[in-house]
Amino acid sequence: MITVNSKELPWLPGMTVADVLKAMNYSYALIAVSVNDQFIARDDYDTFVVEDEADVKALHICHGG
Amino acid sequence: MAEKIKITINDKEVEAVKDSTLLQAVRAAGEKVPTLCHHKDLAPDGNCRLCICEIEEAQGHKRIVTSCNYPVREPIKVWTHSEKVVKHRKLLAEMYLSRWPSARPVKAVAKTCGVTETRFRGDHTDDKEEACILCGRCVRACEEFVIEDIVNFAGRSMHRQVTMPFGEVDPHCIGCSSCAYVCPTGAIKIVDDLNHPADAVKIRNAGMKINAEMARLDPLQNRMRQVGTGNIVDVMDQYDILPVMNYKFGSHPEAKKIYCDVFRNNYWTQNQCDGCWLGCSMACAKATEPFELKTGPYKGQKVIVDGPEYETIAGAANMGCFDPEFAIEYNFYCDTYGIDTISFSTCTAFVMEAFEAGQITTEHTGGLELKFGHTAAALELLHQMAKGEGFGVDVGQGIRWLKKKWVAEYGADERFLQDIGMEVKGLEVSEYVTKESLAQQGGYSMAVKGPQHDESWLIFMDMVNNQIPTFEDKAEALYYFPLWRTWFGLFGLCKIIWNDVVPADNYREKDANKVPGHVRSYFRYVEGMLGIDDMSEEKMLEQSARVYNLQRIICRLLGYGHRKDDYPPYRMMGPVTAEEYESRQDRYDKQLKELVKVDPTAKSSAEKVKILRQYREDQYEQMMDVVYKRKGWTRGGIPTLARLKELGIDLPELVEIVRPYQE
Ligand code: SF4
Ligand code: SF4
Ligand code: SF4
Ligand code: FES
Repeated sequence: MITVNSKELPWLPGMTVADVLKAMNYSYALIAVSVNDQFIARDDYDTFVVEDEADVKALHICHGG
Repeated sequence: MAEKIKITINDKEVEAVKDSTLLQAVRAAGEKVPTLCHHKDLAPDGNCRLCICEIEEAQGHKRIVTSCNYPVREPIKVWTHSEKVVKHRKLLAEMYLSRWPSARPVKAVAKTCGVTETRFRGDHTDDKEEACILCGRCVRACEEFVIEDIVNFAGRSMHRQVTMPFGEVDPHCIGCSSCAYVCPTGAIKIVDDLNHPADAVKIRNAGMKINAEMARLDPLQNRMRQVGTGNIVDVMDQYDILPVMNYKFGSHPEAKKIYCDVFRNNYWTQNQCDGCWLGCSMACAKATEPFELKTGPYKGQKVIVDGPEYETIAGAANMGCFDPEFAIEYNFYCDTYGIDTISFSTCTAFVMEAFEAGQITTEHTGGLELKFGHTAAALELLHQMAKGEGFGVDVGQGIRWLKKKWVAEYGADERFLQDIGMEVKGLEVSEYVTKESLAQQGGYSMAVKGPQHDESWLIFMDMVNNQIPTFEDKAEALYYFPLWRTWFGLFGLCKIIWNDVVPADNYREKDANKVPGHVRSYFRYVEGMLGIDDMSEEKMLEQSARVYNLQRIICRLLGYGHRKDDYPPYRMMGPVTAEEYESRQDRYDKQLKELVKVDPTAKSSAEKVKILRQYREDQYEQMMDVVYKRKGWTRGGIPTLARLKELGIDLPELVEIVRPYQE
């Protein structure tokens, strides 16, 4: 189990940041991601593997409005 | 995804990002290569050739390339200062020096090539310090930053020069000063005699960051230039916050029919219909042209429609009308009649729900079948409003008025109408579903001007990011953002460029939601305008708080500034009907279990609606207390005398208004 924005998400072996965003339906363009407080560059979403128990933050910066 | 490639630079093996330019790779490796036409915010052009390097490709083939526009795609060997390269560069430097002997960047770059004298002499020497060295940066800036083609090259060989068409000042130049910003010699100058800023260069340097972000980042972020605020329709639908059928739901399978690219591909034809700020490189306003109207007094005529933008498109969804041409048509007639599209759509959505629920019938609507999705009936209602005829006369009075009349005269269900009538302080709510964001319920309902999101938009921070979980966190957000957003109004500045594009490194900032880099740019802008140098967050908050509290007092004078005026209708807070509850049953059941500690099994939907409601209304009350306190207001929602004093606005006439309500 990992947490994403303080919500629980089942962990799967080999899960990448991109997989996490997909599982959460996070399709927004202005997301900044950190895994255990380490910022992950957009270019690495496909390759950065999220470990079990990780604390993932996917910060949506608001716009519009 | 960034693929890395191993290359050797000056016999040292390094890793380079695939598809980056050779210049980037060389600089990342700590090697120096001179450049003249290159600018970090512009696409490379390869015209000065000073950045040349010698490379050996996989096949052993050696050649000279301009590094600024050579993409690294294979494991090459690179020499930045081979004999050939050094010789070529020297020759180039001498040629540049002979033509522009006094231009500073030319002299500087020649020096790094070891050249101080030139062997060449020509008839075309321009020895001004601020000579145009034909680097073309200005041409690219105009093209890339503002998608214009105002400055360009004209003439050939020695007569080549940079100019505007026909050598005259082009009226299409928006005065963004991007060209001047990137010019390395100062050949282009800003002559600002329109409003006499104290420090035009300071303003330009702050503003130019946005121009570069628009060119480089916007296409990857919100595509504001391509689709404007229309991009929000897609996002809101995907996050279940697009108002559908009077805010009952947050998304709909048919919403794809009104996604932004539908408008972009089929309807929008031009930018800047609004004639917004001169020089705005975001140019988010979109217009539809030509559009043939299907109804009303101008039926059959082809017109230009200023829009539609997010709120108007979302308003169509709120009326259950997933038809882009309906959105354009009601947009046009609202503009033409002087009716606000938000008020019209929110009010009509309310009428539609009341109609479908049998609270009113065709007897009351003059025969109009005002069901969700009935575009023709909605447009007819709009025309009636403008003509002052039929049912349109009533609906034109707004939701608050309708509720009263229907209860008093038609025996409608008062509580139901109160719950589904999306207005606060008599103003119709703007187009976002706030059920899962307590902070935004407050953001709308406590806003002094009524439920518009001009004061704050906290849904992502609250509902998606879970960044402001406690009442104190929410209160802090409801303190800061309304003051920050009020500040735009104080200076007459547009809000859109604050957070509809964000700096590439914004995510590294502590308070990323505040987009601190852009806040600083706004401060530099105001400093440059006024000739001051001490704008800060503290000062901004104080300036705004004065006006904000004054607005709250005016609100009180108009009869709205009390706690009782700051409550949302329940539709804004949660599911009113069993149908609504059931549509998101998993989510609500989970909340009952986890937050309210009630077991939802074996309970009817009606019971569950009731329990959830008690919980949410109680949460709202608790939040209100904390928010008022943070704002410096009494429990009743009136600014305290101490707060007025602290802000230096304890004028006798204001004190007189608030004194009776101090606790
Ligand atoms: S000021 Fe802006 S629009 Fe005008 S020529 Fe320069 S870059 Fe182009
Ligand atoms: S005006 Fe300035 S930026 Fe434009 S080509 Fe000349 S030197 Fe370069
Ligand atoms: S970003 Fe602001 S100033 Fe620029 S076009 Fe949009 S609304 Fe107008
Ligand atoms: S800097 Fe590469 S060609 Fe000018």
